[in-house]
Amino acid sequence: MRPLPVAFALSAALLATPACGQTSQPDATTANVAQSSKGSAPGVQAGLPANVRVFDVPEGSRPHDVAPAPDGRVWYTGQRRGTLGILDPRTGAVREVPLGEGSAPHGVVQGPDGAAWITDSGLNAIVRYDPRTEEVKDWPLPAEFPDSNLNTPAFDGDGVLWFTGQAGVYGRFDPRTEEMRVWRDPEGRGPYGIAATPSGDVYYVSLAGSHLAHIDRETGAASIIEPPTPQQGARRVWADSRGNLWISEWAGGQLTRYTPATGEWKSWRPEGERPQVYAVYVDERDIVWVSDFAANAVLSFDPASERWTRYPGSGENSSVRQILGAPGWVYLPESGLDRIMVVRTAEDS
Amino acid sequence: MKPLIGLVAAAAVAGAACGAPSATRPQGDRVFRQQCFSCHALEPGESTPAGPTLHAVVGRPIAADQGFNYSPALRRLAARHGRWTPELLDRFLADPEAVAPGTQMGLLGLDDATVRRALIDWLGRPREPR
Repeated sequence: MRPLPVAFALSAALLATPACGQTSQPDATTANVAQSSKGSAPGVQAGLPANVRVFDVPEGSRPHDVAPAPDGRVWYTGQRRGTLGILDPRTGAVREVPLGEGSAPHGVVQGPDGAAWITDSGLNAIVRYDPRTEEVKDWPLPAEFPDSNLNTPAFDGDGVLWFTGQAGVYGRFDPRTEEMRVWRDPEGRGPYGIAATPSGDVYYVSLAGSHLAHIDRETGAASIIEPPTPQQGARRVWADSRGNLWISEWAGGQLTRYTPATGEWKSWRPEGERPQVYAVYVDERDIVWVSDFAANAVLSFDPASERWTRYPGSGENSSVRQILGAPGWVYLPESGLDRIMVVRTAEDS
Repeated sequence: MKPLIGLVAAAAVAGAACGAPSATRPQGDRVFRQQCFSCHALEPGESTPAGPTLHAVVGRPIAADQGFNYSPALRRLAARHGRWTPELLDRFLADPEAVAPGTQMGLLGLDDATVRRALIDWLGRPREPR
């Protein structure tokens, strides 16, 4: 395993606004970079586990979501700078791709086409970044859905992008036909995390509505599935290899598993007086990762042993709002610190 | 890049008549829909796990809605300041993390002072209960 140096990104340049539905070539993306050989950025909390490295991203980025890029790099949404950030964990280099005037990107995933697909609440649009051509293109939501507060994207088993809007919507976008459809959540404001199961089914959760929803991909209809804990504030959802759904309960303070085949619910509560479970992700080993704002930590959970492992934030108020990874790696965007933590989970990664 | 740079122009309504919103003046209701609606209701008693109701928030005691489980950051702010004055709201909306370190509110901050002012003015207006 190669050690991952810590990088300090310096500055960013901005790009002229691409018009809606038009494309642009970001000719002013920015590189970095000063590097440290110390293995920790200044201010990083001592005592981090040995399999953890921390990288600074440009100040004020507030990295919200992350996704693995095809080439070992890590994409992140620089929500406050209106950028897609690109971190190379091998060198610590950081680049920024400006997404346009007014951009405030929230979610990002890698599509089957190897591109970054972004839910941009500032632009109220789905944005695609092609790492081969560096083309940036956006598709605004229909005019009858303004200010949707776009949140999170997920691809289903057929290569269709599904997304949530926290103002109370969810939708689909087919990259092949560029057709977009949007529906309103049956209970209003709140749609937040969204995920596809290994079989391709799509579920989302509502933070304000405290529910899980299954989307009929043919009709677009959402069926509400009420968790047993009322007012739990379901924030994010992820599927394991068996199709079980893992839900982070922000207000309920627990990690909950729903088994669609049986309708069974089961919950586990992290240690602490008042946990606040924000993000959830299930890695390729079916180990579940959550962030707990109250503990200022990320926790991994082994469902077989029901044991938790703690990864403390690299500083106070790290605020990890989403978790994603690639085989052997887990990426933790510390939105409160403008850092990305990288956890190596396999010896040969 | 600041996400709200384009908001002012986008939110403005063209109108030259006296009293009509100017082309550069943001409207508080539009700012609310864009920045607050996803987590906050305006009706009393309508707090959700996403956020407390903003009913009569201007002048209201901080972290005092019984229907919402406030973060330690907001409880500390309440101990220091007591109530949401327009001035404190303005500072908080400009940089929530600076005013209440550790706040769990998703809003990252509104850079434009005219946008903040429009929102605070609009939130402070009396409303008929629905």
